[in-house]
Amino acid sequence: MQGLYIHIPFCVRKCNYCDFFSLAGRLDLLDAYINSILGEASKYAGMPFETFYMGGGTPSLLGAGRLTALIDGLNQIFDLHGLFESSIEVNPDSADVPLLKAALQSGFNRISIGVQSMNDAELRKSGRVHTADQAKNCIENALKCGFNNVSADIIIGLPGQTEYSLRETLHILLEEGVNHISAYCLSIEEGTPFATKIPADMPDDDFQAEMYQMVEQVLTGSGFAHYEISNFARPGFQCMHNINYWRGGDYIGLGVAAASHLNRKRWKNASDLEAYLIDPLKIEIEYDVLASLQKISEETILKLRLLTEGVDLSAFQNRYDTIVIDNLMRRLDAMVEEGKLVRRELNYLLPDEKVLISNRIFAEILD
Amino acid sequence: MNNIRNFCIIAHIDHGKSTLADRILEVTGMVRKASMDQMLDSMELERERGITIKAKSVRIPYVSKSGIEYVLNLIDTPGHVDFNYEVSRSLEACEGAVLLVDATQGVEAQTVANANLALDAGLKIIPVINKIDLPGAMIDDCSLQLYSMLGMRIEDILLVSAKDGTGVPELLEAIVNRVPPPRGDPEGPLKCLIFDSFFDPYRGVVPHIRVFSGTVTRGDRIVLKSSGKSFEVEEVGYFKPGLMTTDKLMAGEVGYIIALIRNAGEIHVGDTVVSAEHQDIDVIPGFRMSQPMVYCGIYPVLTSDYARLGAALEKYKLNDSSIVFEKESSAALGYGYRIGFLGLLHMEIVLERLKREYEQDIIATMPSVIYKVVCKNGDILMLDNPSKFPPAGQIDHIEEPVIKARIIIPPEFVGSCMELAENKRGMLVAIEHPDDRKAVLIYNLPMSEMITDFYDKLKSVSRGYASMDYVFSGYRAGDLVKVDILVNNSQVDALSYISPREKAAVKGRALIQKLSKLIPKHLFKIPLQAVIGSQVIARADIYPLRKDVLAKCYGGDITRKRKLLEKQKEGKKKMKMVGSVEVPQEAFLSLMKIEE
Repeated sequence: MQGLYIHIPFCVRKCNYCDFFSLAGRLDLLDAYINSILGEASKYAGMPFETFYMGGGTPSLLGAGRLTALIDGLNQIFDLHGLFESSIEVNPDSADVPLLKAALQSGFNRISIGVQSMNDAELRKSGRVHTADQAKNCIENALKCGFNNVSADIIIGLPGQTEYSLRETLHILLEEGVNHISAYCLSIEEGTPFATKIPADMPDDDFQAEMYQMVEQVLTGSGFAHYEISNFARPGFQCMHNINYWRGGDYIGLGVAAASHLNRKRWKNASDLEAYLIDPLKIEIEYDVLASLQKISEETILKLRLLTEGVDLSAFQNRYDTIVIDNLMRRLDAMVEEGKLVRRELNYLLPDEKVLISNRIFAEILD
Repeated sequence: MNNIRNFCIIAHIDHGKSTLADRILEVTGMVRKASMDQMLDSMELERERGITIKAKSVRIPYVSKSGIEYVLNLIDTPGHVDFNYEVSRSLEACEGAVLLVDATQGVEAQTVANANLALDAGLKIIPVINKIDLPGAMIDDCSLQLYSMLGMRIEDILLVSAKDGTGVPELLEAIVNRVPPPRGDPEGPLKCLIFDSFFDPYRGVVPHIRVFSGTVTRGDRIVLKSSGKSFEVEEVGYFKPGLMTTDKLMAGEVGYIIALIRNAGEIHVGDTVVSAEHQDIDVIPGFRMSQPMVYCGIYPVLTSDYARLGAALEKYKLNDSSIVFEKESSAALGYGYRIGFLGLLHMEIVLERLKREYEQDIIATMPSVIYKVVCKNGDILMLDNPSKFPPAGQIDHIEEPVIKARIIIPPEFVGSCMELAENKRGMLVAIEHPDDRKAVLIYNLPMSEMITDFYDKLKSVSRGYASMDYVFSGYRAGDLVKVDILVNNSQVDALSYISPREKAAVKGRALIQKLSKLIPKHLFKIPLQAVIGSQVIARADIYPLRKDVLAKCYGGDITRKRKLLEKQKEGKKKMKMVGSVEVPQEAFLSLMKIEE
């Protein structure tokens, strides 16, 4: 499977927890940016893709006209009609009905809404620019316009969050009829406002751990499958584009700071918007080429994130030397002994109760 | 010989000793002004700390006002109490001492200590008040203190500004007129005092000597009285301040010998050198082997650097034979060395030099004094490492080393200093008020208090005005207990400490509290305890880690995710294992500095 990702690094304002590459304001650069995307895309002209994901930043800031223009342009370079999943990320404040309609007409069949919370105080303290009502409207509009695959992002551990408010957020989302929820635990990243000053009402890690378990319980009880560490979906509504990441599949990322993976090689465009606008074909690219043992370990930890699929060592047989696979297997088996993983035949899985401390387990696999 | 003058300059730290030495070299034309910024302090570290660590000597030709040619030998001495023995040996090589007092500070504790050492050695003392150019100079007060505290005659006191040279020519005249010439028969049997040495990678250990009797020349066979080892003299010379070869060194002279002495351990300051033909000569009194007073363990941060650390110590000892070290291992810190130092300052200097000049990345454990442990079965153990103590049940009692401290302070700080000293288990011996600007407190104080934070605290309660000096005065029984620190029920040997019983819990709680913040959460609960035997005196728990899961991974940026995990893994490498608990190096580093 091969995916296409496009990064739209613009936001109305930066959220207090965000350390991704995005720029607040500067909407004046959108047209130039679209041109650069198309310029970079020409490098891969004719390449076939099965999934497409437009993320950010805030892709909905493009507005209906620019979104249509961008997709039209891409269609000249690639054939995007055969995509079986095409997602766009939107924020409730900028995803108005014209944008939603333009997205549908441009071929998007999945929408991912940055809800984060259905509590206005939590949204405000996190620097989100929309309200709970706007988020609700956005979901309703998306469904009304004809998106039947609607996902919402929520964050566990926002300042002021309580079990009650988080249950309320989940309740509203389920009632509104989303069929995919990504639930991320808030982490405080260097250089963000939260890192400079942690709000007094920021819940601690123990709260996050309990809430994570609560969210899982509520969602699985409502017919969602916990298919990836942070992702829940009703049957048939898993995000195939993201699953491709975890399965170690290939994808091309276009745009500033976008990452790609092709033929066992990873690379990432420089986080330099100015250079990208001047000439997207001349930007700096950071390559990340791994030795077999590192590569197989990386692939393993990615696959383990898929909680129901896990990693099947037989899939490695044609791609890695036996000696490398044996080495991995020995290490995984030792971890099975310690209860950190479970094994069924050649399939290894992350046990439910270890999901919350999965970093420890992944770090050990990278050893 | 009648025209030789051997003298030294003694002073409290920062009273201008090195500046005066420089000025003397300049006035006598030994060095030009530009090329000499504090000539005698050559080690970078000495300069930074303003302390002369190792004594050196310079031969200075001088023509007096009356036209007589003299040879002055200026012997530099270390100023700190840790090096008292070295000071006393340097003084032994002189007939006179310039006692320097800072006009803005007056007589301080080390002024008194050094002056007493010089008087004990029978030296002629020339009292000098320095820094008279400064606006805050209190010449009358200083004169009075020299009179009342040290018995100097007011009319003997010279006024000098080492900085601008005022009074230096007069001082040189006083040296040749007041300091007696050395005595001794150049034709008699050889008898020299070793008062310092340094290591040259090509020529071996180079002892600095003062000849008291006889003559030493190239080709002579000499014998060290302490060991009976003999060497052939390859070269003799003096310092100018660089090495200057000469034919011979005669009674009364000061210089060096090169005799291809490979092992720095052969040469001991204070030893007597005699000729192989006349070995039956009395030794110069006062010799002793260097005695470490303070010990600590040092461990490489990376276990793999253990061999490198050993090599660095061997090399270091060539330059400073006063340290002793032996291999030691700690369950918590792995393989390392136990090192004995002359005192706390000496320890700080050695550790700093190991880090800086020898590029060693090390963890030092809390310093310890040598305890005398009297066991119930009558055995007496001298132990410098709390983790080596026998079980509490076998100990009858513990004695600790006590020092006699002389603290000099302005009178308004007497109250706060006494409060501090009593807090630190000090016993007042005497209070003196030599004048209305100075008070002198004499305390008997456990040395262990001295090596933790007594001096820092003293400086802080006296707003920096206090000065202190001390001598070892013996052992005193105390109600002392050994406290062990348990992490997840495993003892961390490097953190064990000896404490007076009534203070054990306070320190234990502080340590446990700090440790609980330094050890990251694990997947299981970690109890931390401070215990005396089986009695728990402080406890805290580190609750298990509930969550370590990566948040959003954007647009398939897997590399970033992997790098985050790798960073986590790198951090793990710098952990020391205590049982099943990973303790970061920083924890040990910052725990060693815990305050009471």
